[in-house]
Amino acid sequence: MPERRPNRFLGGVHDEFWQFCNRGELRLQRCTGCSSFAWPPVTRCAHCGGDELDWRRVAGTGELVSWATFEHRYHWEIPLPWDTILVELDEGPLFVSNPVGFTRDEMTPAMPVEVEFIECEDDAGAFRLPVFRKHAR
Amino acid sequence: MGVVITEGFTEPARELSRVAAIVGVGESDYAKDYRAGRQKEATYVAPDGLSLAAVAFERALADSGLGRDDIDGVNACFMYGGPAPREVAEALGIRPRYAVAKGNIMDHVIPPAVVALAEGRCDTIALVYAAAPRASQRVYGGATYGDEGATPVSYYYFTPWGWSSQAAHWAFIFQHYMNTFGATEADLGSVAMTLRRHAGRNENAIMRARLTIDDYLTSRYIVRPLRLFDICLVNNGAVCLIMRRTGMTTDLPHVPVEVAGWGHARTGPAKMHQLVRERLRLHFAEAGRQAFEMAGLARSDVGHFQGYDASSIHLVEQLEGYGFAEAGTGLEFCKDGQMDLGGALPTNTSGGLLSEAYMHGWNHVVEAVRQLRHEAGGRQVDDVTTSLFSMATTESAHPLLFTRGG
Repeated sequence: MPERRPNRFLGGVHDEFWQFCNRGELRLQRCTGCSSFAWPPVTRCAHCGGDELDWRRVAGTGELVSWATFEHRYHWEIPLPWDTILVELDEGPLFVSNPVGFTRDEMTPAMPVEVEFIECEDDAGAFRLPVFRKHAR
Repeated sequence: MGVVITEGFTEPARELSRVAAIVGVGESDYAKDYRAGRQKEATYVAPDGLSLAAVAFERALADSGLGRDDIDGVNACFMYGGPAPREVAEALGIRPRYAVAKGNIMDHVIPPAVVALAEGRCDTIALVYAAAPRASQRVYGGATYGDEGATPVSYYYFTPWGWSSQAAHWAFIFQHYMNTFGATEADLGSVAMTLRRHAGRNENAIMRARLTIDDYLTSRYIVRPLRLFDICLVNNGAVCLIMRRTGMTTDLPHVPVEVAGWGHARTGPAKMHQLVRERLRLHFAEAGRQAFEMAGLARSDVGHFQGYDASSIHLVEQLEGYGFAEAGTGLEFCKDGQMDLGGALPTNTSGGLLSEAYMHGWNHVVEAVRQLRHEAGGRQVDDVTTSLFSMATTESAHPLLFTRGG
């Protein structure tokens, strides 16, 4: 059974991100002019203003920067308590996500993690969501 | 990358320092209205923004000692939408030659008013703010999009991961702060306890009951590690500030409070890094530098601080960002009593957003005015002549320096 999630923000460049996820690829936009990554997706580079952006596949590995656990209900789809993490990808961008296979009790600063895609659905249909498991490196 | 000076912002300039002053302040009855709303009696109808604004305006007008006909400018700042400025003017019984609706939270509201006064577009302006989230059933966080239209603010973007609300930013920030500096959740409790003590000296504050460390530590988490008492209140209310050119402020009943300086900075790309890892330190430092330079003042001149405390940890970021405490020592500063009356920097002396009212920084300015007039009663900071107000969101810093006029 896919996990029910609150709705994604869709349309334009946002659809492109999720299409890559559905193929099991974590790709983020990178400006061809100044090499800066953009996340969430943009239509123009926020660093240099360039409008040529490639979807660069990232390794999917990174480290925990911070974490937060929701104990107040903001979304009916989300059971409480609900762990969220902030991951620094090896390529630099910070990525908000969820842990899979571990909880806040095991979280430590700079803990290595790697991406995994789980089956989810929202009002727009089924999709694959990038989350992070522990990574022994 | 990093600090962005806001486009379209009224540039701080020495020639705009102290050309305008706040001469009247008025507020709605935060505590009384809050209790009336909570009692949920069948006949109770929550007042809307305009009627709250009218209450605040009448009080500010009376406080200023001016006549209704003296008010020839108005800026109607209604949160979540409101009537057009001309309709507001009509409802307030004024005939302004300058009427705008530019603003909502106390971010970039006062500098354009100073310019309007300096350029003679009006002589006396009423800045009127109202927020009626409880009357309009406003919900913060969750599956609602922002007022900005197509592009959602970041916390809406991350909803597929169940990450929502402004509070979630501050939860990430405080977890990172604990990881970095070894602070504890109990340390953070000192901020809410301090502001609650201040609110105890303010009869218009919504939350005045004493808060102990046990009360704090046994309260529920909202977004762990942040608890109920780390997050601002939500209430209906209104504030009015009346401003004039400083040449026109003699013979009024209260000491004028001059707008001495301001600054502004915004986050650029990589906002999460600037927020969580840097806690906007570079932004507060840059915006503060602008404000002090414009005012011709130094940090050591500041005797009172009013920081935007949407969350307890957000207030600590500002104390550290402006340099009142070294990075990582803000909670020790608070625990030592340095934010109390008699401390090095009495802070949010009317109770702030955490214990007084969620008036988006407008109530902070009112308290700065009362302190600088030396009319703050039992919570007066002795002989204070300079107050720093800091508007701060998850993406901007906007300090304003106020001084006691002659």
